[in-house]
Amino acid sequence: MKDKPATVFVVDDDEAVRTSLRLLLKSVGLPVETFDSATAFLDQYDGNRAGCLVLDIRMPGMSGLDLQQALNERHSILPIVFITGHGDVPMAVEAMQAGAVDFIQKAFRDQDLIDRINRGLTKDGEMRDALRARDDIRLRIGELTPREREVLDLVTAGKANKVIAGDLNVSQRTVEIHRARVMEKMNANSLAHLVRMVIEAQRED
Amino acid sequence: MTEPAASPVEPLASLAELELRAVLDAAVDAVVVIDASGTIETFNRAAERLFGYLAAEVLGKNVSMLMPEPHGSRHDAYLGHHLQTGQRKVIGRGREMTARRKDGTLFPVFLSVGRVAAPGTPRFVGLMSDISERRRVENALRRERDRAQAYLDLAEVILLAVDRTGQVTLINRKGSEILGWEERDLLGRDWLETCVPEAQREPARQLHNLVVGDIAAPGQYSEHEVITRGGGRKLVAWRHSPLRDELGTVIGSLSSGEDITERRQAEESLRKSEQLLTDAQAIAGLGNFEIGLDHEHTYWSREMFHLLGLPSLQTPLPLAEFVDRHVHVADRERLEKAWRSMVREGGEMDLGYRLVRADGHLRHVHSLARISTDPQGRRQVTGTIHDVTESQQAQEEIRQAQERMTQFARLSTMGEMAAGLAHEINQPLTAITNYSQALKRMLASAAEQDPEDIELALSQISAQALRAGEVIRRLRSFVKNREARTELIAPGRLITELLALVEPDARLNDIRLTVEMDEPLPDLTCDPVQIQQVLINLVRNAIDATNEAHALDREVLLEVRRHDGDVVISVADHGPGISAEVAAHLGDPFYTTKSSGTGLGIAISRSILRAHGGKLGHRPTPGGGATVFFNLPVISGRDQ
Repeated sequence: MKDKPATVFVVDDDEAVRTSLRLLLKSVGLPVETFDSATAFLDQYDGNRAGCLVLDIRMPGMSGLDLQQALNERHSILPIVFITGHGDVPMAVEAMQAGAVDFIQKAFRDQDLIDRINRGLTKDGEMRDALRARDDIRLRIGELTPREREVLDLVTAGKANKVIAGDLNVSQRTVEIHRARVMEKMNANSLAHLVRMVIEAQRED
Repeated sequence: MTEPAASPVEPLASLAELELRAVLDAAVDAVVVIDASGTIETFNRAAERLFGYLAAEVLGKNVSMLMPEPHGSRHDAYLGHHLQTGQRKVIGRGREMTARRKDGTLFPVFLSVGRVAAPGTPRFVGLMSDISERRRVENALRRERDRAQAYLDLAEVILLAVDRTGQVTLINRKGSEILGWEERDLLGRDWLETCVPEAQREPARQLHNLVVGDIAAPGQYSEHEVITRGGGRKLVAWRHSPLRDELGTVIGSLSSGEDITERRQAEESLRKSEQLLTDAQAIAGLGNFEIGLDHEHTYWSREMFHLLGLPSLQTPLPLAEFVDRHVHVADRERLEKAWRSMVREGGEMDLGYRLVRADGHLRHVHSLARISTDPQGRRQVTGTIHDVTESQQAQEEIRQAQERMTQFARLSTMGEMAAGLAHEINQPLTAITNYSQALKRMLASAAEQDPEDIELALSQISAQALRAGEVIRRLRSFVKNREARTELIAPGRLITELLALVEPDARLNDIRLTVEMDEPLPDLTCDPVQIQQVLINLVRNAIDATNEAHALDREVLLEVRRHDGDVVISVADHGPGISAEVAAHLGDPFYTTKSSGTGLGIAISRSILRAHGGKLGHRPTPGGGATVFFNLPVISGRDQ
């Protein structure tokens, strides 16, 4: 679903800062979208869109931290770079504990911001790749028959074919056939690979 | 007088008779001899001269013809009584009586009567001398003495004569009155023992000795007290002179004394009150003056000279010269104007000006004066000049201290607001940095650039630089060391400038600052920076209160309302409100409920408002929280 390129979303209530960031990021070839408040961003938020959020930590009404919390509640993976003012260190710490990738203090060197944004975009890409792989595994698990699913669970639990045959009250030969079908459907090249995929599929977030 | 005629009845005369007759005729006194029935037997020459009768006219007649009535007709009875009883009423004694001349006139005589000691019927010899002259002299003397006594008694001084031994020989009525002694009781007493206090007796005695020794100066002066009969004391000023007899020998002393008790007390109390006045003036640095409008008389109290650094023995300066030499040149016109108006309108003058002392030092004085009339009915100016240099300096120091304190509080407030203001300056700086770096990259890039972006970046760089500059300018004008200055300002402008300073702080604390103003509002006469300082304190307190209460309603409402003749500005929050305990200490210097507060904000706000004629108050905000408000009086005529 790479229908849109990774975008830098800028949320800042100060128009001058907002516009200047737009121009700066545009000058380095990054797609930018700007929002003058947290709510304005949240209104059009699409979790599927790749990118990085550049967020002013202090804003009237809904603050940057409030927005971070709202996104966390929606299981957003969008990396956040906070822009903080002088003396906002305690807030920055709070933001980092809540999962922000980084923060930068005003006034900053452009390259420092761009570096942080790029790191955020890379992380976003990685996250999205990992999520896509997990979705793929879950999809394949979903395509297994109930019997194959039972065999998968028992195999990944570390049980030998003979034990599985006994558990399922089938022949050892039948177990071997199901197991081969599972390995094939899951596109696994070893038992260790299969175990890793099952663990990945079971991860939340 | 008439020629003595030879007696017709003297046929035979013995030698003895002749001798007797010669004696009788030579005698100065009148000699009349009568027999026991009062018939005149002998009447000598002197008798003829005295009575105007010739002997022949009276011989053989009754002696009563020589006496006025009723003595004449009673003489026979006197004589009969004597002959019968032998009692002697006149004989051998002599007495004064009145006699009668031939022409009927009466005259005083001294009569001595003798009974002729011969056998047979008794006969009597009367010797008479005219005492008219003696009477006259005696009367004159008596009159003289009475007059002298009257003089003594009339004198309003004590007149006292004392003999050599110190006994009183004379005291006049005034003396008796003052001493409480009757003259007769005092006469003959020892003066010093009776009337002079023991402690002062010795010097008085020595002086008395000098006077009676005739070696004291005439009219020698002394003062000593006397004791009255009632035990009281009086101070008497004496003049002493020796008292001499007709030979010039000093027989005592004569003193005149004046009771100066009251005069001395009055003098003493006058001297004392003058001393007190002089002392009080010196202590207070207050001089007083009288200047006659006719320029006839001028009086300066000693402190006047002292204030001017002049020797106090000098005569007061004429007004023009005083102004010329001792009034600061910049104050002369003001003083002269006030003086003229006082003289013209008969009112009062109340003026502060500067004096230049003789040594060139400057003193601040406060002068009060008014037109009055002196006891001679002349119009004059009376007034005071008070040296207020020290109190003026003290006031100036207090004012400066207050200004420094206000300034300090302003800086401290700014310190507390630093985060918000740093943010306010960081915003444009961040924007400028971003724009310039974007420009740099655009220009370095080979790709085609949007000219609008370049235009935007450039115009925004200057706009944001101005924005930062404006914040700094506001900040500077707020914190810079400045003298208090009153100006006329529209409330709208005052609030706009205030918001530039407090809004960043509100934003930083996620607080909505709402302003509501009545329309229209009159201009305010105030020091805008000081009023803004008050408002910053109130808004910051409101922000802190909101934070403290974790209030859900994060709004601070700033209202500017018209109320009676005032403009009332209030700041309402939804914090915890002001407890009674805090309210009791509100405005105490250094009392604070904040961990980082100076405790000066409200105290200084109060003093600023007091200087503006306004007052700080507080009340609960409906629905919770505190509303703090103050009024500023609108100067009438400035209303719009």
